Amino acid sequence: MATTYIIKDDEKTRKWKTPHGELYIIKDRCKGCGFCIEFCPKKVLVESKEFNAKGYHPPELQEDETKKCINCGFCAMICPEFAIFSEADAQSKDVGQIPEKEIPIPESPKIPEIKKARDVLTGEHFWNGDVAAAEGAIAAGCKFFAGYPITPSTEVAEHIAERMPQIGGVYVQMEDEIASIAAVLGAAWAGVKAMTATSGPGFSLMQENIGLGAMTETPCLIINVQRGGPSTGLPTLVAQSDVMQAKWGTHGDHEIIALAPNSPQECFDLTIECFNLAYKYRTPVVLLMDESVGHMTERVVVPEKSKIKLVDRKKPKGEPGKVKIYEADEDLVPPMPYAGEGYNIHMTGLTHDERGYPSTIAETQERMIKRICDKIRVHADEIVRYEEFMTEDAEVVVVAYGITSRVVKRAVLMAREKGIKAGMLRLITIWPFPEKKVRELAKKVKNFLVVEINYGQIVLEVERCACPSKVSFLGKMGGAVHTPEEVLKKMMEVCK
Amino acid sequence: MTMHEVEENPLDVYLRADRMPHIWCSGCGLGIVTGAFIRAIQKSKVDPKLVSVVAGIGCTGRIPGYLNFDTFHTTHGRAIPFAIGLKIAKPELHVFVISGDGDLFAIGGNHIIHAARRNVNITVICVNNFNYGMTGGQVGPTTPEDARTTTTPYGNIEPAFNLPYVMASAGAVYVARWTTLQPRKILDSILEAMQKDGFSFIEIISPCPTAYGRRNAQRDAMETMKFYQYKTKVKNGADPKEGDISLTGEILTGKFVDIQKTTYMDRVKMLIDKANKKGA
Repeated sequence: MATTYIIKDDEKTRKWKTPHGELYIIKDRCKGCGFCIEFCPKKVLVESKEFNAKGYHPPELQEDETKKCINCGFCAMICPEFAIFSEADAQSKDVGQIPEKEIPIPESPKIPEIKKARDVLTGEHFWNGDVAAAEGAIAAGCKFFAGYPITPSTEVAEHIAERMPQIGGVYVQMEDEIASIAAVLGAAWAGVKAMTATSGPGFSLMQENIGLGAMTETPCLIINVQRGGPSTGLPTLVAQSDVMQAKWGTHGDHEIIALAPNSPQECFDLTIECFNLAYKYRTPVVLLMDESVGHMTERVVVPEKSKIKLVDRKKPKGEPGKVKIYEADEDLVPPMPYAGEGYNIHMTGLTHDERGYPSTIAETQERMIKRICDKIRVHADEIVRYEEFMTEDAEVVVVAYGITSRVVKRAVLMAREKGIKAGMLRLITIWPFPEKKVRELAKKVKNFLVVEINYGQIVLEVERCACPSKVSFLGKMGGAVHTPEEVLKKMMEVCK
Repeated sequence: MTMHEVEENPLDVYLRADRMPHIWCSGCGLGIVTGAFIRAIQKSKVDPKLVSVVAGIGCTGRIPGYLNFDTFHTTHGRAIPFAIGLKIAKPELHVFVISGDGDLFAIGGNHIIHAARRNVNITVICVNNFNYGMTGGQVGPTTPEDARTTTTPYGNIEPAFNLPYVMASAGAVYVARWTTLQPRKILDSILEAMQKDGFSFIEIISPCPTAYGRRNAQRDAMETMKFYQYKTKVKNGADPKEGDISLTGEILTGKFVDIQKTTYMDRVKMLIDKANKKGA
């Protein structure tokens, strides 16, 4: 039967039901914290005079009859260095080792591979923009979606919730948008193409982690189906007022890539393009749709799987353990290791050096910020895409993007009928801003008109680049798309 | 003094030794937690390649930076959703979240209760030092009533969270609480939590001598540890409801919850099977 010891203490009576047997002290492990000596209920341990290998005084038992160790094992229990073992812990004589015991660690069930996954629905479809974007993501190989429902982006989530299990992917409806984007970043580091879809207010919530994505160079896709704002604004009505938020929403210097489709077909195509850009440049990419494009239903042609060009990450070439995970190649983009590959990644949102270690040295910060901005600025020509319409001889060029570009196209044709030499520059890439093209046009065109569904955002960028040409602006805030007549009227004013 | 040759510590492989010295104050309990954690990994014999540690912001958030695994230092409060993404996308990873009480239960409170509800297979180690240490010792969701912090100069007026109770009611399959005076219990508990399939949660109460202790009648770390020695009560299987911590009262420690439930990964697998059967 186990003996019960009762030790009288000044403050409290403690009961020790089982003696733990003789003590073993591994002197060279001791770091001299003194916990064992301080907390010994019988005060039998003292600091020895000799040093151990680390230069500390390890504890030893006091030879005193009035104070006798009762083998309560408390010193062994509290030693943070595990330098004291009681007999119960160390059945073998080799007390330096933690006792061996098989520990069954459960393995999580793997996500089953789907043999006949229909991830590319080749053929002609009648889809709205949201559904087309969802299908585009699936065609691009996206296997993880984390999101939170918000109008007008819900169709993306709804469609993906149905499709993901069919292709062996996962749809998670997170508790909020912040969690969604954080989970997307996590999945991206685990090596899966991941995305989320949201709208204005949700996009605002995501901003901090979009910054984390930019800082840690995590490829992922964020679809923002824009709606009227600020705040809850116009949940079901169109706007194009998140373009500046997409670029400047998060804090600090960074660059982002954002594309704006103007038809369901483009929603499909550009979503694939977004993933390609994300993986090529190791950065979060935003697909800036607007409510009208998202809810517009049109014919979408899905090509064959073999015809879809996909870009994957650059793999690290060196051995695991020696690779610096943020050491960039000549194109300023570092190869990306994934979790579980043995590279011992340290991913941090803190200013970090090439190894990923936090640093507060000014040069490190400058080198890093320069690189994450320059990798996009240097490659701007490859990223930037736009569409020109009748600009060859134009006297007035209307700059538009998203749904607005369709209205402007009609207005340009109407203007031409009236003898006004009008043209359109349609931005497909919003960020990085197609600066070069606007500057080039500004050399021959005197008048620019920017038409967008907000109170002046991209117009600022055009003004910056189109100098010395005159830049006019036609905004709209009512949650509706411009009519061609409105644009025509403004064009005539501008041309006077 | 004779010169000794210091042998290489067998645990060095689990640490980024080139990052030492660490940034923590003397007397801080985070070293004990780190030590117990890497010993648990060593003892469990899991492939270190497959261990991922995620943290948020704060003193505890710096632990992954010193660990030689795949480590992720995310934004404030968002360690849990990041870990969920990691685990779901690559289920073979052993995903741990090590973060502070402010990070996990104030800004990240919503995420942790939903992760427990979903029963995602991750292990969360919450180091509770009763205040926001890194920002200089402000009041947090676990600060006991009447405790003094830099933002409660007249004493805290808000009741504190009882973390094991919150987690148990949210649906965690394993809930335990220890103090840093029980490093071996912490080790055993981390090992046990690793063996659990599902959402496991361990709270570790740790001294913060610089920011919290000295404002609350504990002049140094040793006094805080003495306080733990006298006030700690080990009661395995106790109702976590009784686990409220007051400024001077008892601290209930032990393993409170150890159950089994269908995990999130099981459900994902079932869903995929279902969708495919229907499709075929």
